[in-house]
Amino acid sequence: MSAVAVYSDADRDALHVRLADEAYPIGPAAPRESYLAIDKLIEVARRSSCDAVHPGYGFLSENANFAKAVAEAGMAFVGPPADVQRLLGDKIRARRLAAEAGVPIAEGTNEPLRDLSAAREAARRIGLPLMLKAAGGGGGKGMRVVRDEAELDAAWRLASGEAAGAFGDASLFVERLVENARHVEMQILADAHGAVVWLGERDCSVQRRHQKMIEESPGPAVDDALRARLGDAAVRIARAAQYRNAGTVEFLVDRTGAFHFLEVNTRLQVEHPVTEAVTGLDLVALQFQVAAGERVPFAQGDVTRRGAAVELRVTAEDARAGFVPSSGVIELLRLPSGPGVRVDHALFEGARIPTEYDPLLAKIIVSGRDRAEAIARARRAVNETIVAGLLTSLSFHAHVLRDPDFLAGRYDTGYVASHWDGRASPELEPSAATAAAIAAVLARRRPQVAHGNGVATAWQLAAREDALR
Amino acid sequence: MRYEVAVADRDFIVDVDASGRFLIGGEAVAATADEVVRGRQWRIAIDGRTHEVTVLTWDPMRLLVDGTETAASAIDERALAMSPNARAQASGRRELRAPMPGLLRAVHVREGDVVDRDAPIVTLEAMKMENEIRAPARARVTKLAARAGTKVEGGALLVVLSEVD
Repeated sequence: MSAVAVYSDADRDALHVRLADEAYPIGPAAPRESYLAIDKLIEVARRSSCDAVHPGYGFLSENANFAKAVAEAGMAFVGPPADVQRLLGDKIRARRLAAEAGVPIAEGTNEPLRDLSAAREAARRIGLPLMLKAAGGGGGKGMRVVRDEAELDAAWRLASGEAAGAFGDASLFVERLVENARHVEMQILADAHGAVVWLGERDCSVQRRHQKMIEESPGPAVDDALRARLGDAAVRIARAAQYRNAGTVEFLVDRTGAFHFLEVNTRLQVEHPVTEAVTGLDLVALQFQVAAGERVPFAQGDVTRRGAAVELRVTAEDARAGFVPSSGVIELLRLPSGPGVRVDHALFEGARIPTEYDPLLAKIIVSGRDRAEAIARARRAVNETIVAGLLTSLSFHAHVLRDPDFLAGRYDTGYVASHWDGRASPELEPSAATAAAIAAVLARRRPQVAHGNGVATAWQLAAREDALR
Repeated sequence: MRYEVAVADRDFIVDVDASGRFLIGGEAVAATADEVVRGRQWRIAIDGRTHEVTVLTWDPMRLLVDGTETAASAIDERALAMSPNARAQASGRRELRAPMPGLLRAVHVREGDVVDRDAPIVTLEAMKMENEIRAPARARVTKLAARAGTKVEGGALLVVLSEVD
């Protein structure tokens, strides 16, 4: 199989362009004019005689119109068909479907809210706190927590504005907010012949602003019985939706082990390597097989899981300043290696990290015989890693991998808010602090010419101008 | 040349004498420094212990010290002499800049306001997300450099904060 890549102007130098067998430009950096332009993608696929189109994650990966356009162009869409995407992409219909399949859902509204007053009424009936969510939503967009009725007005405006902008659909619904819950998701795989299997869970509770930072399997709070119940619930939803290809059913699990359905991600997840690490399966290869009409090549009973795996998302964000986005050129790069260490990335020295897209830079996936070994290896891997030229989430990971609560598996979706204060300086040994002081002086003594980060240069100029005022 | 250096919460006075030796707090330190990557990474040996220090970013200066990220600043005496604000600029002054291009949805503060840590300062809409940029510490708003409703470039100065006790 050979691969055809597409790229926007911002990604001209990106690694995927160079690694693909063929690569085609599809327009300006703005996603609407390139990565979201269905006609341009279909045109490239046609021109290069593609047999199949893999939508990746992000952009059009959960877009029913794209799945439809690919199928109509006579190519295999590597993901669920358009009608499944449409059904499950509507979070309100997905809620109803889960309930009908006998899977618990959180108390909430099963119809789009007409207006703010309908939201107020629902809030009074369901009680606070609650989540205001976009029907077309996902990925943390168009989603707001409401703790006080007075916040509802602002939350409504923000969420519907975001939803309209991101999904072209401003309709919202509410769900009771379950606090201190874990975000646990189940990987499924289905073929066109009616087979549906579940492959195991991932605990993705370490999130900030609903964006996952760390995912692991097995979930620290998931025992065999709960795993089987989650697997069964995921399969029931998949069957009810006539699901096909790989997918993820997300649940919230409370402290008692009770769970309810959140949503289905009708695509490959960013964190899929965690499941690959513990099952030994190649999910992307399986996606292509079932998209080609083949059967899932094993039965539920054949799926085995071994050891533990954890994924750390390295993002271009200053973790020590509230995760504000950071951009720049990668000036120095050192990636970790060793047994059980996998790094999925597209980094190289000299790579300019564009601000136009998602801040994900790399994923470090570490596995071991058990959770303790995986975490010990992860700690070493993070320690080995250098991404200089911009700021990343690595300082956050270094902290979490030493935090007693994380080490004990005691965390939920509130973890980052309660356990991460990036401003507190980590302790340095006296000789390390002295070395840092000397290096700071040496760094200042060097004529600073080589670090041509546009933003940093502007900062320096401003600082210099200020100094001369 | 004398430098005022801050690493994390510690302050150092570092002197570099004519022969390139380091004195910290007036005392000579038996340290050897090798530049491993030009202008970017040093290997520094002190008392038989070797530390790897990488400059992650310059402004603000962040160092990676044996895998631990830490904030740092170093100002030489000339810069201090030139501007009494240099020290404040290196540590107590914080410019909030647009992390990416976007639409400045709202400015939640006025010049002169004293805000608590984590107080929302501005709301920037970028990538279809509304990002609240918050105060990194309790601070006074000394300058508003952008107006609500305007488009801003990545790196554009939004607000200048200064430290308050």
